[in-house]
Amino acid sequence: MRHRIAIAAALAATLLGAAACGGSDDSGANDTSAQALDGKGKTIKVWLMVDAQSSWKEVVEDANARFTAATGANVTVEYQQWANHLTKLDATLAGSDVPDVVELGNTEMPKYVFSGAFAELDKGRFENSANWLQGLAGPCELDAKTYCVPYYAGARVLIYRTDLFDAAGIKAPTSYAELTAAADALKAKNAAGSNKFAAFYMPGAYWYAAMSWVYAEGGQIAKKDGDKWTGTLADPQALAGLQKWADLVKGYSSGDVTKDESDQAAIFAQGQSAMFYGNGWEVGAAQEQRKDPNDPNSELVATKVKGKVAAAPMPGIPSFLGGSNLGVAAKSQNQPLAAEWIKYFTDTKAQEALLAKAVLPNATNLLDKAATVKGNEATALAAKSSWFVPMAEKWADVEKAAVLQQMLRDIVTGKKSVADAAAWADGEIEKTLNG
Amino acid sequence: MHAVDSPATAPPAPIAPSTPDKPTARVRRRRRPQWTPLFLALPTLVLLAGLLAYPLGRMLVLSFQDMQLRHLFSGATPPWVGFDNFTQVLTDGVFWGVVRRTAIFTVVSVAISIVLGLGVALLMQRVSNGVRVAMVIAMMFVWAIPQLVSAQIFKWMVDADFGVLNYAIDQIPGVDFTNHSWFADPTQGWIVITTLVVWAGIPFLAITLHAGLTQVPQDLREAALVDGASPWQTLRTIILPILRPLIVIVTTLSVIWNFGLFTQVWVVRDSKPEQEYQTLATYAFTQAFGRNEYSLGSAISVITVILMLGVMAFYVRQMFQIGDVD
Amino acid sequence: MSTPRSQRSRAGTVAANTVGVLFVIVMAFPVYWVLNTAFKPASEVLSFTPSFFPQHPTLDNFKSAIKAPFFLVDLRNGLIITTTAVAGAIVVGFLAALAIARFRFYGRRALIMVILGVQLVPLLALLIPLYLMLNRANLTNSLVGVSITYLVLILPYTVWTLRGFIAAVPRELDEAALVDGCGRWQTFYRIILPLTGPGLVATSIYGFIQAWNEFIIINTLNNPETQNLMAWLLQNQTNRGTAWGPLMAGALITSLPVVVFFLIIQRNIATGLTAGAVKG
Repeated sequence: MRHRIAIAAALAATLLGAAACGGSDDSGANDTSAQALDGKGKTIKVWLMVDAQSSWKEVVEDANARFTAATGANVTVEYQQWANHLTKLDATLAGSDVPDVVELGNTEMPKYVFSGAFAELDKGRFENSANWLQGLAGPCELDAKTYCVPYYAGARVLIYRTDLFDAAGIKAPTSYAELTAAADALKAKNAAGSNKFAAFYMPGAYWYAAMSWVYAEGGQIAKKDGDKWTGTLADPQALAGLQKWADLVKGYSSGDVTKDESDQAAIFAQGQSAMFYGNGWEVGAAQEQRKDPNDPNSELVATKVKGKVAAAPMPGIPSFLGGSNLGVAAKSQNQPLAAEWIKYFTDTKAQEALLAKAVLPNATNLLDKAATVKGNEATALAAKSSWFVPMAEKWADVEKAAVLQQMLRDIVTGKKSVADAAAWADGEIEKTLNG
Repeated sequence: MHAVDSPATAPPAPIAPSTPDKPTARVRRRRRPQWTPLFLALPTLVLLAGLLAYPLGRMLVLSFQDMQLRHLFSGATPPWVGFDNFTQVLTDGVFWGVVRRTAIFTVVSVAISIVLGLGVALLMQRVSNGVRVAMVIAMMFVWAIPQLVSAQIFKWMVDADFGVLNYAIDQIPGVDFTNHSWFADPTQGWIVITTLVVWAGIPFLAITLHAGLTQVPQDLREAALVDGASPWQTLRTIILPILRPLIVIVTTLSVIWNFGLFTQVWVVRDSKPEQEYQTLATYAFTQAFGRNEYSLGSAISVITVILMLGVMAFYVRQMFQIGDVD
Repeated sequence: MSTPRSQRSRAGTVAANTVGVLFVIVMAFPVYWVLNTAFKPASEVLSFTPSFFPQHPTLDNFKSAIKAPFFLVDLRNGLIITTTAVAGAIVVGFLAALAIARFRFYGRRALIMVILGVQLVPLLALLIPLYLMLNRANLTNSLVGVSITYLVLILPYTVWTLRGFIAAVPRELDEAALVDGCGRWQTFYRIILPLTGPGLVATSIYGFIQAWNEFIIINTLNNPETQNLMAWLLQNQTNRGTAWGPLMAGALITSLPVVVFFLIIQRNIATGLTAGAVKG
């Protein structure tokens, strides 16, 4: 018996050892500032998310061109899907043939930074690094070292129908009380004869929204006591926020309560909703769509609500600061070149080009500039009052397990009371973050 | 050729399982050299071992370790934890809920699929040629549609806002289905998923069983009709016994496939299935890749295989019985 | 039996035809909905009141799908990978099926257990070790690695099903042939192979579908240049909402060659079966 165990252990060691013999060498921070980079004949591989492909490919191409001109190295960009990119990334980073630069959502980043997936970077080499948005830069930091670079941010705003507001004789609300009053007025005026009408369209599984309501009431998702995380959604402030959000859903929304926010712009474009809580770019997406969604240069086709949509900061509700970061893989063979490419892709020139795409820049000094770009005023304002998810290594697991979505669906379908659902979510969050 | 006459005159093997020639056949077989079959099976064994041995071994090893993302990236050996993962999984009420749900879905969906598939196969024999061609073409289309796409089609059709199903039901006077969510109530959600799985599974079953039916000698059936047997009797005493090996095989396969239900749930629930929609496959995947609990995921997979083996024991026995008859 | 047989069966045929037509409608509806969606312009696709026919039929969705990056490359890849995997599995699997169906040997039960057992393993659990193994062998981002993987994926099924088809050929036939003086290979070529021909075709269809439709493994193993159309379809969903029109058009383009292929093969199944029954 003992013999057999020994064999099994030896076998396992061989298997794992063999798996580990990739091209990883323990390299610390890459020192690239001193020497001029010569990348002739080299090609770096960059993994960006699909947004760059569909919305700002020319920004990527411009950065590539400048990078190649400076270093002589080539760039291959591969675009990844949000739905399954982490599975692929995990497998790839376990092997030896890794991408040199990887984009991750800012809430996904901590897990990878903690797990040693990314190489340390010299923060000072990146433009505007002194002013990086905290919601983006926070996940990049570990033990006072920097492991990734903020790429772009997004904030959520109130998007509303100007024609319906005018007809009801109301203006964009400046307080939460005005918001509900406006919703009441719009509902009274438009709801008759249409059971699709929503004074405020709010899908039930939209957790970025619901948590904004929680933070608005002074609540939070979880807090750290010593080295243990405690779920705090069942705290009185958080419960008040959840209740207020649930009241909004039940009172003013229509549609499938189990949906998330992914097609809210398309639903709003049907002309049956007066308000929704969306990303800056959704102001445009609700009004016109590309004739060919696969071709960013194709003509725009107007929807039913074209020209009748405006955005304002959501009164009394802080925005979640979403966004993306770029890291250099710890196993990359071309770390200096990879860092150099990130430098070009996140410099002021590239960031300014991004502003025109209705996303927010990575630094506060650029935020003021963003506010002057038409269409970005509301989001730039919203970004100034923002919240971020708990900075825990395993936060991404909470998202992956859809704990918050499940809690919200249980609340809006009436399966559980707000308090019961929140207590359940706290338990799951604690299990995950401390596990 | 003599060979031509023998299948019609000799009774098909399954009907007379204990013909006296069985022992002689045994004796004759035993005299055959042993290396021919091994030589024939060798390429299969080499391929299976070459590609699956390492991943399977790794899965097994992992289920006794506690592997985290950092071990994966660095290649360091994760700590050994003995049976901890198994204890954790097996004492988790959520896991047993998932097992029960998966089992119920498998039984219900396979039963419906097999009955409908056999019905369609029999129907194909009764209809006129034109209708049969239409049926075949319709089924070929359904069969050719990738699982990924068919799941998206169903998701699209039952969408609460843009879907055709709610719109169509809404046209019935006095019924308001405008904002009806098919997934708020898990029972309804599972009806949608089961419909999708059965719909997509029928072409394979019907066409396979129909191919099997054409192997039922026409004389046998005509003889049965002449003897005054009702269609039901013909089905029970002649057709089903002959089809039995095929039915056992397709049932086995359907059980394996449906028990491993993944893509449909994954797509229909937007790659984030709620607890009420988790099956063993999605649950293991969520643990392993969603939460990077690779060891828990492996343990769940190992338990799944063991459970399946238990479930399949019955069918395996059937297979061996049929194998003996062969 | 008072009713004459022909009359009874005529009434039966009418009833059967009615049921058959209903069946066709039910089965075909989702397919029709794909067609309907694929020919609609984007503004009609997303509508609270879906129309049953495109008001302004357009080919834009098809153009969009074909023009999208990697479509043609991935189409070619899918064909190569699938053909290789299916052909390989049929050849290799047929031999093993022959061994199980026609021979009694030491380890036969073990072989059956392996064939059956392998199918029970949830494949996704093997994803990362599989990647690591192929990566070390330099077979990621290549058509070879994924072809072998798919071959092995469909192999157990192939063996399992072919075993049934071979077993269905009465043993008396090959024994008679052997008695007639046919050699073992001749028996194989002239008796077993022709009689299991339809089975080979039917089995390869299933293998074809499995290999053609797989997307999780190939998406993990390979980059877009070496992926198949399923992985490409996945790529068609952006973070900013699914582009249903091009997706459905892409799905249609993806499925059409397969349907045509099936319809051709279906005729062969039928003729194969009748040939097998009549000519032997």
